Amino acid sequence: MGSDVAEPPVRIPSNVAWTARTIAMASSGDALRGLLIGRRCDRCHGREGFSSSPSVPNLAGMDRLVVWKQLDDFRSGKRSSPVMQPIANSLSLEDSADVAAYYWMMPIAPDPQDDRAFPQSLSDPKHEAVAGRLITAGDGNRGLPPCQACHGPVGFVTGAPSLATQNATYLLEQIEGFASGRRANDINLRMRSIAVQLTDEERHALAEFYGAGLAEPNARPAGR
Amino acid sequence: MPVSNSTFSAATRPEERPGGTGSSARRVIRVILLSLTLTCVWLTVRFPYEAESGLEYLLSGPNRINPQTLHLRGEFVESNLGPAEEPGGGVTVRMIAEQYLFVPQCVVVPTGVPLRVRITSADVVHKLTVSDAGDEVKAVPGYVVETHLRFERAGEYPMPCHEFCGPGHYAMRSKLIAVPPEQFRNLSQQARMNCVSR
Repeated sequence: MGSDVAEPPVRIPSNVAWTARTIAMASSGDALRGLLIGRRCDRCHGREGFSSSPSVPNLAGMDRLVVWKQLDDFRSGKRSSPVMQPIANSLSLEDSADVAAYYWMMPIAPDPQDDRAFPQSLSDPKHEAVAGRLITAGDGNRGLPPCQACHGPVGFVTGAPSLATQNATYLLEQIEGFASGRRANDINLRMRSIAVQLTDEERHALAEFYGAGLAEPNARPAGR
Repeated sequence: MPVSNSTFSAATRPEERPGGTGSSARRVIRVILLSLTLTCVWLTVRFPYEAESGLEYLLSGPNRINPQTLHLRGEFVESNLGPAEEPGGGVTVRMIAEQYLFVPQCVVVPTGVPLRVRITSADVVHKLTVSDAGDEVKAVPGYVVETHLRFERAGEYPMPCHEFCGPGHYAMRSKLIAVPPEQFRNLSQQARMNCVSR
């Protein structure tokens, strides 16, 4: 036993480790400088941080650490996107912190004047109950923790985004990506372990629930 | 009185002539000095993405581990998790406890074989409880804890967390599936860590 088992190559999901130094670096951005850098993000992510396309993420009020980590992962190729990788490559660590600070300060209040895709209605009214149960209670039998324990408002795990104002199509793509391994930049397999267990209906229900703005809005982790 | 460079001409220092034995000795000394400098830098400087300097890394013993960098290096990188067959015939299972999951969430192991479970925590204190085996392991961030198990009977053994670790604690449950050794041998590493279809 053993000798015929090939050693798997070491796989590193993300270069970011949430050390005190990294957290300090990611949280020390200058929002005004971020505003100037972020002008080129407006076209896809919206002038107010809400995108007009449901497959592009809304960034208004997004935790600074989340934006900073994702930009770093795009830069290092740990998360792939033909659009975001070249953009992230042109940003330094400091630029990323500035952009993150800018989006973090944006309000998430509704604005009828803004051309935003959020919120969208549910495709099936049953989805509300399915998603509501998973978000608030999870499913202990399958070892699925409630979404709100990490994505808020009940608790926030470092680096986990708030989902309350996120677009449905984007969320569904991310859940599918984690489940299939296409997106694999979550530290210690957290989201991949969970997403792979969700049924098709649950994936749609969760994405649509958040995308319809039914979750309690709490855009930023307490104390940060 | 300052001495100009021309004072030390090739004529007065024959060992510096190209091809001389002195020049290769100097080159060796230069390489040694450079390596020593680089080693000192590695030992003392904290590089980007690194939580500790090389010295801190070397000083932490075999059962100490930095919970923040589990995914970057060491035995708990994600490609090293799950059951691994040992040359002696046993199986070592490496797991990470984190809010609110044990990773991998489901582990397939062979029956009748000594199991060594090595676990650490990425955040707070958790407790892996192996039902039926009557075994509990506290996963403490910063330490690697080890326990030894053996399953004679094939079956499914739930492994919940028995230490309150936060709002998602009650759903923190993983499981261990013991299968006959022949069946275990035929499973891919992926199948030994994924029980969704079971």
